[in-house]
Amino acid sequence: MLAYKKKQFVTGVAAVSLLAIFFAAWWLHPDRSVAGFAVADPASDPLAMVGQAPFYRSRFASTDLDEFVHSSSVAALPSGALMAVWFAGTREGAADVQIRGARYDASTAEWGDELVLATRESTSSATRRHIRKLGNPVIALAPDDRLWLFYVSVSIGGWAGSAINAMYSDDFGENWSAPKQLITTPFLNISTLVRNAPVFHSDGTIGLPVYHEFLGKFAEYLYISAEGEVLDKSRISKGTHSLQPTVVPVSAQSAVVLLRYAGDTHHKVLASRTEDAGQTWSKPRPVDPSNPNSSLAAVGTPDNGLLVALNDLEDGRFRLRLMGTDAGLNFWQPVIDLDESPDPLGHPFSPEVYREIIGDKFQLSSGPRRLALMDEFLTHLDQRVCAVQGCDFEYEYPYFIKSADGLYHLVYSWNNAFIKHVSFNDSWLDTQL
Amino acid sequence: MINMLWQAHLSFALLLFLLTPGLGFSPGWQRLRLAALLAVSFLPVDGLTLAAYVHSFTGDAAITSLVAMLYLAGVRTGFAPPLPRRASVQILAVMAALAVFLYPATLGLSYLDPYRLGYQPRPLILVVALLAFALLALKNHLGACMLGLATLAFTVGLKASPNYWDYLIDPFIGLYSCCAILVYVTGRLLRRKATAQTRAPSLQP
Repeated sequence: MLAYKKKQFVTGVAAVSLLAIFFAAWWLHPDRSVAGFAVADPASDPLAMVGQAPFYRSRFASTDLDEFVHSSSVAALPSGALMAVWFAGTREGAADVQIRGARYDASTAEWGDELVLATRESTSSATRRHIRKLGNPVIALAPDDRLWLFYVSVSIGGWAGSAINAMYSDDFGENWSAPKQLITTPFLNISTLVRNAPVFHSDGTIGLPVYHEFLGKFAEYLYISAEGEVLDKSRISKGTHSLQPTVVPVSAQSAVVLLRYAGDTHHKVLASRTEDAGQTWSKPRPVDPSNPNSSLAAVGTPDNGLLVALNDLEDGRFRLRLMGTDAGLNFWQPVIDLDESPDPLGHPFSPEVYREIIGDKFQLSSGPRRLALMDEFLTHLDQRVCAVQGCDFEYEYPYFIKSADGLYHLVYSWNNAFIKHVSFNDSWLDTQL
Repeated sequence: MINMLWQAHLSFALLLFLLTPGLGFSPGWQRLRLAALLAVSFLPVDGLTLAAYVHSFTGDAAITSLVAMLYLAGVRTGFAPPLPRRASVQILAVMAALAVFLYPATLGLSYLDPYRLGYQPRPLILVVALLAFALLALKNHLGACMLGLATLAFTVGLKASPNYWDYLIDPFIGLYSCCAILVYVTGRLLRRKATAQTRAPSLQP
């Protein structure tokens, strides 16, 4: 009888404890409302740009002549300054790949020296994890002037084993916090990658477009607090054929997303929309431009259209094109080919011919500061961009932003030898349309 | 830094302790063996402790896994009684059901992402509370304790993850539970079939 009463007492205490635990959990985790996108007020748009002279300039942001450079990103800082980041190493996925960056000085219109922002060792030390390789850095300035750097690291396997690391700077990139790994999936926290520009919500929440590569290939949207904690996520696509979403907010509640197509059928850019600030997305549909399974980037234009940088090709990445489209994504118009192979089909060139062509192209973007690198660049050309079948032109992985001063900034991989920065204004854009 | 990795060290030592045979040692020696394995988890590898190195590939164990491993280690070291078979089947069934609900859909099979329920967790808290009370009603104290402590750990933010699911389940306990339930159900079906076959002749006239 005593034993029975004791058992009943224990069960009663357990039941009350459970009730308290679950009630506390319920009470402390209320449903979170989602703030609308922070869309620039058209009235505060720099009207000064209207009527200004057309402006277009290109420069190399990177300096190193030995490394494979790829997957660049750029953020606009106060006073016209910029900070670009990319990854550099002996090859993509190599253990020596570092996350590097450089600053753009608006007064001299030149990019400064390369900085090392993260390495395999620094990431391993901060996250207390074995790190095999790094990739895909993305940099963005939040409305609270915190500069965020997201990049992927892999502990096991290939890129499908990636996790996202986040670090921040409160002094515009002079000093950085230690990286922290974001937990975004239940499956060993693997296979969330970042590539495209974050957007911001009116409450300071960061909207980070990401994608998944383990078994499936699909896109997601992460809500991250201004302190860097993952708050929620939504699924943009499903299945095995879409990657690297680029999100463009149109209003507080609606945004358009364009996706890299990774399937085997239509080879077209995919598009989807949200009407509830990213909580749900329409089923992605193919739109007009071709996509050879390559990254693309988009920004909004004053007429609610989009400006998209992409390889509008079914195969290869030998031409990087700027295209404009309307708000409905129904009418697409080429604006300019930013960089392209002289061969319309992108066939490789012999090293001799290639050297001559790329030398000319180099001078168009080197700027005075990097012009002195030309001879050394051309001398080492064979190891960097030429294979047995010849030398290819590759212009890929664009990243696109519009800064508060009204300038468009685009960075991309220039033959994986340099990170190229192109900037222009709306007046220049008008002359191209 | 040890603070951040306490789970990694505990999981490493407990898992190795449970996976390796007891060799007939007394409960006292088993405790020493567990302490030795905990010490092994601090061996340096590639600038990290061994447990942190392994944790790089496995991620954090769920709190439910930790509680289950602690209980099983308690049995081996003489602190806890063996778990009745019925109770272990109930726990395995709950964990397998959670795993089947969570993992396939998170791999992009549909637009529904159950992992999202862990960020806005009120509906999931309700479901887990019902499961915990059901286990308690079945006198399955370990099962109720696993779910209750996982929820308590989530409430106080004991792990790096802000997602409730990461406290409830990990791929290892999910996979183990699915396999164990499959083996259990197959065994039951085979036994039932064998029983039916042995009874069959007696039914004939």
